[in-house]
Amino acid sequence: MDPLASIKITFFQECEEQLAELETGLLTMKDGETDPETVNAVFRAVHSIKGGAGAFSLTELVRFAHVFETVLDEMRAGRLAPDGRILDVMLRAADVLADLVRAARDGGTVDEDRCQALIAELGALTGVQEAAVDDGFLDLDFAPITVSVDVGEEPEPAAAAGLEMAEGAPAAEKLVVAFRPRAALYAKANEPAVLLRELASLGRAEITLDASSLPQLDELEPEAAYLHWVATVETDDEAAIREVFDFVEGDCELSIARVPDDCEPVAARQPPVDEAETAGELDIKALIARATGGATQTAAAAQAAPAAQVISLRDHPARAPDMSARKEDGHAVAAASPTIRVDLERVDRLIDLVGELVINQAMLAQRVLESGLARSSGIAVGLDDLELLTREIQDSVMAIRAQPVKSVFQRMPRLVREVAHATGKQVRLVVEGEGTEVDKTVIERLTDPITHMIRNAIDHGLEPPERRIEVGKPAEGVVRLSALHRSGRIVIEVADDGGGINRTRVRQIAVDKGLISPDANLSDEETDNLIFMPGFSTAETISDISGRGVGMDVVRRSIQALGGRISIASRPGQGSTFTLSLPLTLAVLDGMVVSVGGQTFVLPITTVMETLQPKPTEVRRLEGSVPLLLVRDRYVPILDVGHRLGYRAGPIEPTEGVVLLVEGEDGRSAALLVESILGQRQVVIKSLEANYQRVPGIAAATILGDGRVALILDVDAVISGPTSEPALAETRLLAAG
Amino acid sequence: MQAATESQAETLKLRSVLDLTAAAPLKAEFGALRGRPVRVDASDVDRLGALCLQVLMSAHSTWTSDGVPFSLGGTSPGFEEGLDTLGASFLLFSIPRE
Amino acid sequence: MSKTILTIDDSRTMRDMLMLALSNAGYRVVQAVDGVHGLEVLGAAAPDVIITDINMPRMDGFGVIESVRKDDRHRATPILVLTTESDAAKKERARAAGATGWIVKPFNPEKLVSAIRRVAA
Repeated sequence: MDPLASIKITFFQECEEQLAELETGLLTMKDGETDPETVNAVFRAVHSIKGGAGAFSLTELVRFAHVFETVLDEMRAGRLAPDGRILDVMLRAADVLADLVRAARDGGTVDEDRCQALIAELGALTGVQEAAVDDGFLDLDFAPITVSVDVGEEPEPAAAAGLEMAEGAPAAEKLVVAFRPRAALYAKANEPAVLLRELASLGRAEITLDASSLPQLDELEPEAAYLHWVATVETDDEAAIREVFDFVEGDCELSIARVPDDCEPVAARQPPVDEAETAGELDIKALIARATGGATQTAAAAQAAPAAQVISLRDHPARAPDMSARKEDGHAVAAASPTIRVDLERVDRLIDLVGELVINQAMLAQRVLESGLARSSGIAVGLDDLELLTREIQDSVMAIRAQPVKSVFQRMPRLVREVAHATGKQVRLVVEGEGTEVDKTVIERLTDPITHMIRNAIDHGLEPPERRIEVGKPAEGVVRLSALHRSGRIVIEVADDGGGINRTRVRQIAVDKGLISPDANLSDEETDNLIFMPGFSTAETISDISGRGVGMDVVRRSIQALGGRISIASRPGQGSTFTLSLPLTLAVLDGMVVSVGGQTFVLPITTVMETLQPKPTEVRRLEGSVPLLLVRDRYVPILDVGHRLGYRAGPIEPTEGVVLLVEGEDGRSAALLVESILGQRQVVIKSLEANYQRVPGIAAATILGDGRVALILDVDAVISGPTSEPALAETRLLAAG
Repeated sequence: MQAATESQAETLKLRSVLDLTAAAPLKAEFGALRGRPVRVDASDVDRLGALCLQVLMSAHSTWTSDGVPFSLGGTSPGFEEGLDTLGASFLLFSIPRE
Repeated sequence: MSKTILTIDDSRTMRDMLMLALSNAGYRVVQAVDGVHGLEVLGAAAPDVIITDINMPRMDGFGVIESVRKDDRHRATPILVLTTESDAAKKERARAAGATGWIVKPFNPEKLVSAIRRVAA
């Protein structure tokens, strides 16, 4: 029997055991026996089923087990108390899990609705709906299918040239790797000899040892790290080098730089002094040459050896090489300049310090202003220069963290292939602007939303090939992913040339799910935006692709959390475009400074659409609701910020203050009433959670020029409070009446 | 005279596995021989790790600055390969061979 | 001389998968069903590399790592932990305890062998 098939039999046997264990455990817990070992055993049972299911690509099972496991993990961590109600949900989930196991074993289907309902119930227990199974967990080996990838328009010829160059030149690109282990590397049983051997397996390598920090024997700590290495490797595969050092990242200093072919590698360091002494009259250069020559030989030998060792694995189906991706790499190789690798912590510390500098500079400027010095005085002029310089330093420091979105974009061709395969659609991915830079923290959090939007575009946006041909479109659909900078923000678009949003259906679903009233009068745009509402999911049965219990509302929330917004434009028959707009950094913010209940607050300027002073005729009062403000034939609720946040006992008269028209991330607008506007300025964001704790309605804090702490308003939280519910439709009715 | 000195050299036989756990004992072994001529026998070495290379190089340097003979006896393929991988083959030439 | 790998995992499926992939790659495999068992066979098996799961009854993977790193005879033995992509915190904890590297589940044989090569002397 095929060994894998026999392991699969074992897996299903083991599943039965785990399911029994799971049920027993849950029942024990229901009896009030909730010692940690029982909870652990229950967790392990589900975890184990998920692990095996992943290995056999049983996606349904993995998906469900993952959601289940997430809840159990919360319980295990003591963040979720196992009460009777929760245990009932879990017991039902255990039943569904058993059904899924048996369906996977014997064929057949599982009640999708029941399965889905439980996923939702489990998700609700943790409040974490992002139960998305990590990319790669469902790492199926897909057969290559028709997918072409365009990498923008411009780089095409250049990329091709880059590729030719790489092939034409026999002396391959060289990379210089400087490697300085720390003691922790040795303590974890990592070994430079192994790492250098693996490094040398990537290409001809010259390895130079730097022993200049090595002390005399009596001062030597046997397990401290004194030796450093510089290796010049003939390869252009920086990723492969990073992979070799993957496990020791954080336990060493590592830098990788490119050397042009005609340059001598900078690796040729001086030999350590003590060696030079003992070498006596021997020619040092010849010595080094011989030594490094020797190293090169072993490198070649090492290269041959691993090949022999892994040869038995080579019949494992290899993924089809992605030529476009490789071209892209070739292009990057030609363009990249030497880089150094720096601990992120150091950069963050620097950013923090520059933040302090900016605040300090502002405080100084304020003091000078208060002291009554003339604007033309030498000090004032010097301060102006300092301000410019400070701003420049800040920009430069932020630029260190800036990275091209390429690292996220380049994962997408594979995703497109997989989703295209799973849905039976033909898709061409066009990528534009992947060189667009944005702060690293933003980049890290872009992958999930973009992944989801692309899945959504293929799964829900593009029509099946037959349908496309019927309506006169090419069978192959196009998904366009692009990035660009626009007014201090990064804008990312995911566009498809599919059928556009089916508004009738979207509306019907929203009505069915009770998200809007059946007689709500919505514009096309408002209808399109319904898909971002929590609890909305267009797929009737959650499909494997966009589903996974995650809706567009989760995408929207994760974008909001980054201070961004998402919108959709759709044209029937022509496709949809999702547009994400995000700040370039999460560390500074252009803010509007306002006074509320004697306190100073800052609003992100991007949320403020306009400011105005209400006239009595524009304010309308309504029984049981907040006052409304008439703005261009629409009524907008007036929310008294001071009152809502509890800084003032009662509301102030709208006509006595100033209102800021803001738009929440869901497109809902509101008029925020404050006492006065104090000005606009760029502020450095200080996390409250890190220093204090999360405060409702407050996103973060900052320090103003006069040294006072100001709170940054979380506009969405403020406008989504309980009394702000004269819902869209109602507001419109009023406006109409 | 040199031949006479070398003949009195203490032999320090390196273990076959020179990993993390061998570094401290190796340092102690060298420490105990400080001031006396040493001949390092590397003929049994299967595996040479960087920590033991540190001890070996430091000892060599210490003996040299003490002006006491330090030499290398037999070397195994495993030892020579370890030196190569760690970019330290020059030791095969810079430490006097016996 | 083929290298010996000690695999510690409470899931029979996972143990079998590891056994299949590792023996195909020419390694000798010794299996243990949990952390306590793993430490019991450690001395006799004298593995070149230990591969351990994290979530196990009796003694979990963190316990295995800590015990091996405290044992002067075995502390130079590389330990790879089996983890999933979503377990970033667990990976960090394993690292802090002294894990040498990690293998992300589900693994394919190539990734597995590549991880072993990067730690095995």
